[in-house]
Amino acid sequence: MHFLKGLILSLLPAAALAAKQPAVDKFNQFHTKALASTPLKLDDSVYPKLTAAPRDYSVIVLLTAMEPRFGCALCREFQPEWDLLSSSWTKGDKKGDSRLVFGTLDFVDGKNTFQSLGLQTAPVLLLFQPTVGPHAVADNGPIRYDFTSGPQSAEQVHSWITRYLPDRPHPQVNRPINWVRGIAITTTILGTITFLSVAWPYMVPVIQNRNVWAAISLIAILLFTTGHMFNHIRKVPYVTGDGKGGVSYFAGGFSNQNGLETQILAAISPTLILFFPIMDPINQIVPQCRSSGAEFKINRITTYDTFADLFSDGLLSFATISLALKVPRITDSKTQQVAVIVWSGVIFVMYSFLLSVFRMKNGGYPFWLPPFF
Amino acid sequence: MAETVAEPFFKGNTGRNTRGILRLSILILIAAAAIASRLFSVILDPWFNFRATKYLVSNGFYDFWDWFDDRTWHPLGRVTGGTLYPGLMVTSGAIYHALRALTIPVDIRNICVLLAPGFSGLTAFATYLFTNEMSTSPSAGLLAAAFMGIAPGYISRSVAGSYDNEAIAIFLLVFTFYLWIKAVKLGSAMWGALCALFYGYMVSAWGGYVFITNLIPLHVFVLVCMGRFSPRLYVSYCTWYALGTLASMQIPFVGFLPIRSSEHMSALGVFGLLQLVGFVEFVRAGVPSKQFGTLLRGFVLLVFGISFGGLVLLTVSGVIAPWTGRFYSLWDTGYAKIHIPIIASVSEHQPTAWPAYFFDLNLLIWLFPAGVYLCFQKLADEQVFVVVYSILASYFSGVMVRLMLTLTPIVCVAAALAVSSLLDTYLSLESPEDPADSATEAGSNGTPAPSKKAAKLDGLRSMRQPLVGIYSTFSKMSVVSALTAYLLIFVLHCTWVTSNAYSSPSVVLASRLPDGSQHIIDDYREAYQWLRQNTAEDAKIMSWWDYGYQIGGMADRPTLVDNNTWNNTHIATVGKAMSSREEVSYPIMRQHEVDYVLVVFGGLLGYSGDDINKFLWMVRIAEGIWPDEVKERDFFTDRGEYRVDEGATETMKNSLMYKMSYYNYCTLFPPGQCQDRVRGVKLPDVGPTLNTVEEAFTSENWIIRIFKVKDLDNAGRDLASAASFDRGNKKKKTIKKRGPKVLRVE
Repeated sequence: MHFLKGLILSLLPAAALAAKQPAVDKFNQFHTKALASTPLKLDDSVYPKLTAAPRDYSVIVLLTAMEPRFGCALCREFQPEWDLLSSSWTKGDKKGDSRLVFGTLDFVDGKNTFQSLGLQTAPVLLLFQPTVGPHAVADNGPIRYDFTSGPQSAEQVHSWITRYLPDRPHPQVNRPINWVRGIAITTTILGTITFLSVAWPYMVPVIQNRNVWAAISLIAILLFTTGHMFNHIRKVPYVTGDGKGGVSYFAGGFSNQNGLETQILAAISPTLILFFPIMDPINQIVPQCRSSGAEFKINRITTYDTFADLFSDGLLSFATISLALKVPRITDSKTQQVAVIVWSGVIFVMYSFLLSVFRMKNGGYPFWLPPFF
Repeated sequence: MAETVAEPFFKGNTGRNTRGILRLSILILIAAAAIASRLFSVILDPWFNFRATKYLVSNGFYDFWDWFDDRTWHPLGRVTGGTLYPGLMVTSGAIYHALRALTIPVDIRNICVLLAPGFSGLTAFATYLFTNEMSTSPSAGLLAAAFMGIAPGYISRSVAGSYDNEAIAIFLLVFTFYLWIKAVKLGSAMWGALCALFYGYMVSAWGGYVFITNLIPLHVFVLVCMGRFSPRLYVSYCTWYALGTLASMQIPFVGFLPIRSSEHMSALGVFGLLQLVGFVEFVRAGVPSKQFGTLLRGFVLLVFGISFGGLVLLTVSGVIAPWTGRFYSLWDTGYAKIHIPIIASVSEHQPTAWPAYFFDLNLLIWLFPAGVYLCFQKLADEQVFVVVYSILASYFSGVMVRLMLTLTPIVCVAAALAVSSLLDTYLSLESPEDPADSATEAGSNGTPAPSKKAAKLDGLRSMRQPLVGIYSTFSKMSVVSALTAYLLIFVLHCTWVTSNAYSSPSVVLASRLPDGSQHIIDDYREAYQWLRQNTAEDAKIMSWWDYGYQIGGMADRPTLVDNNTWNNTHIATVGKAMSSREEVSYPIMRQHEVDYVLVVFGGLLGYSGDDINKFLWMVRIAEGIWPDEVKERDFFTDRGEYRVDEGATETMKNSLMYKMSYYNYCTLFPPGQCQDRVRGVKLPDVGPTLNTVEEAFTSENWIIRIFKVKDLDNAGRDLASAASFDRGNKKKKTIKKRGPKVLRVE
């Protein structure tokens, strides 16, 4: 018995060494490469070598598609974060104590790998844990990280990695100080102060002008009450295709709207047009999931082919103000008569238009006014 | 002739009395309409508040304060007195005892049901008072009261039976603002103290009091920036702040928040600012030097800056409580989505789209900006308040649907200002003389010129010309009749919205049959009744938190989580149990002594608010706590779809929620036609099997399904093999792998 035990014990290190020897070399080889430039740029031939089964080190690979023709915005957004993470990790761990190699595999260089992994989407992060050595993990398959909640920061991915690699050094992410930005901000602030001190005497009448404040307030209110914040938060598209080659300016459904729709709704009082560029960037149609008494639905776009004219809330308010304040101040009776008719007509038509838009979004709505049904 | 007969009623003292009586009767009618329009259907909800009120009435105030409720948040329990806003319960308790004292026998339940409509009548009255402070026109107040009475944005939270904090809070909000305006106008400590009193009441009633806490200081700050500091402002604000803060600290739930939490810091900061400004003004009155004044202004700004820096420092060092998540999500709109799924998950916390505004406010939404513009005409202190309130409330309502409620009062007020100004202009019987005749006269007088100049300095562009009036009767008629038509449409709209959207409580679902008759789907109550009659009194029910209050109230059974649970981990535990495999869920349920699990399933009926549709939130919230065990990604297919049919992921198919929802479902259909009507997909014929729970009850339309958690197996097997044995499966003969013989040493 003792003999058996002794035999096993004496054999163990030898076996381990035998298994370890080439792997150590492999890691060192990749690590020295990584010290020169990280993350390693992989292709179809290097990738299998790096991730081959007996390994005593961890590998993390970003599978991405950077070429513009793939139109992967997420890949491009994440790339600088990824470079930052890998370089600060490698720099903070020059001796290779954490035994982690960073690699990037672009679709162009690794079509076969993508195919063999059955990947339909990019980017994807794969973390291969060691199969031998002190940190070996039983499960051989890589751990997959999907970017379901949008682009991630280097810190977020860092914390994800550290979760899987306990008991090893975790070099912190070192964000380089952005000098250009700092200088730009300082310059802007100084410039603004200079501008203000020079222009102050001229600006006081503007700041104290009631009309300016009234305009600002009204614009703010109109933007907020026509769902600007909805666009801002949900990042909705300006217009949606209607499946027939045309565009639809109004999204169907009660809790939907398009970006342009808000502009149509908020617009028209002449001052507002100047403020169009405030609107948000377009991304994609965001699947929208609402809980607790609401429904889960992917934005369903109904077709509405009419080119809707740009009118509404703003114009209605403007017309009301004119009727209430301007018209009674017109001294000529004929002009006044015309003004009353014009503004009343505007209100009538616009309100009817609003009701019709609402009917479109809310099927069972029973009320309408003549011109629009 | 008729004119002469009626004339005495509209002149002098009699006239004043007549108008007073008219006004009173109109107000009473408005209040009646406000109450009546909220009585479409009555179901008491949420039940927790009702339960708390019953406890208060039967055990007295002090017991209520110390009430430890062991039937919610099982197994933690809830110290109720310290974790709720008691204003609502105390109000109905007080009404109850007052009526008892007047020997009117009334059930506490009736008071609770009718509290919200009753207070909506009071809100209409408060709006009347508030608007009258804004405008000299006698019609503005009445119009505002009428709008407030029937605006769907407010009805949504105050139909009969909606026994929630908002029921009384909106009245308190408007009335506090009225008292504040009164205090600022008169500079009176008495009105300031009254304002503080109602502010204290508001704090005890609703968490939304923070809106007042920030709006009043903002108003004061804007006034100071406009150079409108006055002793009136100083007296009213200091009275309000000192007394109001003391009052708010009496509520155990609020406690020391007013001096520690950052949401209250603006009020404190403005209080300090006012002291400085007051001091400076005092000194300036004694030393009449222009340079000195400028110097002092700089000094004020410096001190303000330093104290603001100190505040930031204290926040960073942790002396002052960190900003709460909900507050963050108001400013940084992307915050909630990343950090607090529990807040993002609530549909009330979603941003508001345009249709929701039109739905809740209709024509008020375009009268609103016009009314705000009219406030710029005079721009006295109180009009500034309207402008500040409008902008702030529009922003907040845009970020969160729920805050539409705070926007509604000011929309009603501003819209009423616009409409009344239109009506006053176009309803006046006197027409000006045609300018063709009087042109020479006006020119020779030369009066318009100086007024023009004065207006140019500090007026609105649209008001530079002198007011003339409307010449032709046709103009008057057309505008007034169109306006009447719009207002009628508004009334119809409100009635339609109220009867269609806000009067169908979540507990009872109404649907229309093909022949147009109404069909009531009453599965919830059926299920709760079943629970009440067929389960042990202390049987613990696990469900998603949406149904916690209802189970606690209607079925009277303890729940794990309910609508007011803040312990995120506790909610995540339930989420994990629902989204994991049975083998993982079972120990969790055993540990929490769960007896029954309740799920809501709409697949048969096409009811979209069911648990499978909310499922992703459960997953997300659980993932927030156990990122390694629950992963949202696993519930999506490789192509990123959320599927429940054949192509659903393994994780999805094995999750407890999925299994419970679709258990035995396909036996309802002929083979091959099994269908989920919400998701609109075909399901595989072989449904999931359940090992650790068994079906106990399924309601008529399958909306509620209740499962009993099995006890441990008598024979000590694990439940999966026991269930497999019961199904008659032969136990697979496993050749016992003994493994290599282990050598025992020593």
